[in-house]
Amino acid sequence: MQLQTEQLQSAAGFKFDNVKRNQLLADKGLKLSTAKKTGTTIVGLVFKDGVVLGADTRATSGPIVADKNCEKIHYLAPNMYCCGAGTAADTEFTTNMVSSQIALHSLDTGREARVVTAMTMLKQHLFRHQGYIGASLILGGYDVTGPHLFSIHPHGSTDKLPYLTDGSGSLAAMSMFESRWRPSMSREEAIELVKDAIEAGIFNDMGSGSNVDVCVITQGNVEYLRGYSRPNQRVEKEQSYTFARGTTEYYVPRAAPQPAEVASAMDTSA
Amino acid sequence: MDRYSFSLTTFAPNGKLLQIEHALAAVGNGSTSVGIKAANGVVIATEKKTGSSLIDISSLEHMAMVCESIGMVYSGMGPDFRVLVNSARKIAQQYRRVYMEDPPVRILVKELASVMQEFTQRGGVRPFGVSLLLAGVDERGPSLYQVDPSGSYFPWKATAIGKNMVNSKTFLEKRFNGDMELEDAVHTAILTLKEGFEGQMTENSIDVGIINVIPGSQSGQSNPTFQRLTSAEIKDYLSNIL
Amino acid sequence: MKLRAELAIKCATHESQTESRNHSIMQYNGSAIVAMVGKNCVAIAADKRLGQQALTVDMDFEKVFRMTDRTFIGLSGLAADVKTVHDTLRMRVNLYKHREERVIEPKTMAHLVSHMLYERRFGPYYIEPIIAGLDKDNKPYICATDLIGCLSLPEDFVVTGTASDNLFGMCESLWEPELEPEDLFETISQALLNAVDRDAMSGWGAVVHIITPDGVITRDIKGRMD
Repeated sequence: MQLQTEQLQSAAGFKFDNVKRNQLLADKGLKLSTAKKTGTTIVGLVFKDGVVLGADTRATSGPIVADKNCEKIHYLAPNMYCCGAGTAADTEFTTNMVSSQIALHSLDTGREARVVTAMTMLKQHLFRHQGYIGASLILGGYDVTGPHLFSIHPHGSTDKLPYLTDGSGSLAAMSMFESRWRPSMSREEAIELVKDAIEAGIFNDMGSGSNVDVCVITQGNVEYLRGYSRPNQRVEKEQSYTFARGTTEYYVPRAAPQPAEVASAMDTSA
Repeated sequence: MDRYSFSLTTFAPNGKLLQIEHALAAVGNGSTSVGIKAANGVVIATEKKTGSSLIDISSLEHMAMVCESIGMVYSGMGPDFRVLVNSARKIAQQYRRVYMEDPPVRILVKELASVMQEFTQRGGVRPFGVSLLLAGVDERGPSLYQVDPSGSYFPWKATAIGKNMVNSKTFLEKRFNGDMELEDAVHTAILTLKEGFEGQMTENSIDVGIINVIPGSQSGQSNPTFQRLTSAEIKDYLSNIL
Repeated sequence: MKLRAELAIKCATHESQTESRNHSIMQYNGSAIVAMVGKNCVAIAADKRLGQQALTVDMDFEKVFRMTDRTFIGLSGLAADVKTVHDTLRMRVNLYKHREERVIEPKTMAHLVSHMLYERRFGPYYIEPIIAGLDKDNKPYICATDLIGCLSLPEDFVVTGTASDNLFGMCESLWEPELEPEDLFETISQALLNAVDRDAMSGWGAVVHIITPDGVITRDIKGRMD
């Protein structure tokens, strides 16, 4: 049993012991469900002193808003952050794994890691999995060689550009960048432009919504502005919908379950 | 007698594994390291010994950060220490990837000790020629651990390993008290090293690492971080002592 | 290595091929689970139905589990995986307790569950867990993950199961901040009961757990049995 499980494990640590079973279920005509996606607007731009990253905060599963205020700007290293679009779990775990590798790398070398290093780690991981890890990323950071901004696609290709947008709201956001971005913008101008680009996504793309998160990375400094702009605050309820105590009928109070120390044995004989 | 020291995994009739005894001897030859647990943090310190005055002493690193909340130092063989530093860092990151938090000091020590134990039982390897001192802070507060080549580990209030271990421990027994603040502990650690230090002690000939308990921030944003003191900081401490 | 790659590809391509078919594995057994934050307390509630598509086979099926004194997990989705994941998690939580000589915090458990699910990114368990508990400072914690372990951490409530769309609507209108345990009980119960009444796949009674610093109150609430 142990051996079999080990054989079904990939070099990256993925386990494949459910694959056959799931295949069987699928062959029986059951639809395999899909993971939570972030129909997203994420952007990044280079300005005079560094880079600014921006993201909306809506997570969707199909047409349902699964999370109204999620975080899409992920920590990679003290001098690097990464926006994620695509399959939410993939962006989360890919950035976490690379963040961990970078932590080891900079402890080993005794220096702050470079942005290209993180970019290379990310693209190699994504290329190795041939696009099955659905992470679309915008990576920004500041290292000894200055500010850097990259976009990394699920199949492992990368771009280095002074301004980038990604996700389902990327077209709306890019319209703002194409008309207003110019080289050597000031910090204030840059943040304002990023905010407007994300808001363009929030208001014109159904997959994006709620608030604007902004992250400003300059030499030796990071400012993570969570909820920098909140254009979609919920209006206060005019009435309270609490129920009078005793509304819900329940059976004679029963004892709360105890946290079992030993799980009931599973029958694996069949 | 010799045939029992041939294989590391062969017990001598008196119940000892001689290679482990020899590894401890290697530790005993190594430069002294001390550790003190204060009320609000931990300090570890060590001598930086060099064979020649021509060596660029400032570039030697005898101390390592394992993860934000844990640091470690050694007595014994430098190259063996580097291998263990790599293992320790990997263990910490592996824990982090599952739980998204730094491992408690005791858990890291246990894992690292089990690596060292494996090297006393496996074929084709030798034990590590180092003893380690690990200093860290977790939700239970500051802690200081020693790990030996055999894989045994001990929690300490204050201890010393290496060449001057016996004298240093006697010194610490006299000097240590439980209410000591970290500042005092750094002083005491340096004084302990100074006992039996060969030659002039300077800011470049010792390495000091500290970790602070940040009051009321155990689940907060800023976490306790292990730091090696800079030469300037060590110089300040030394000038107060001399 | 080749086998692994083939499996991975097979599995992943299948997602798109079967998109057109109607019945999903996640809807096979039916469930409705919700957790809410109150004032110094949290509540988690679930229906009791176990079905095989339209056929009800059990009306007292457990899908919310007490993992530690003050942390609960609710598992919706495929009943087989509800059992498997619960058993595996029980092992991991017990092992944690013995190794670390401390009780796992809800937040730590959430990351553990998330890790366990993402490990099977390409051959997932068909469950969507929610976790509710009080941490060591009595601060309420709730979270939900999708079937491959993506955490979401809202401040108000989390829902999962076949009635999740209905539950979203109910909670969005009924929930308000700082509810006392007894008021939270009414709110979560009414949210669940009214949600499952418009979901054919869940219902048949429900159970509510309210976790407070003084202990856990568990109530079997009365609901429609159709």
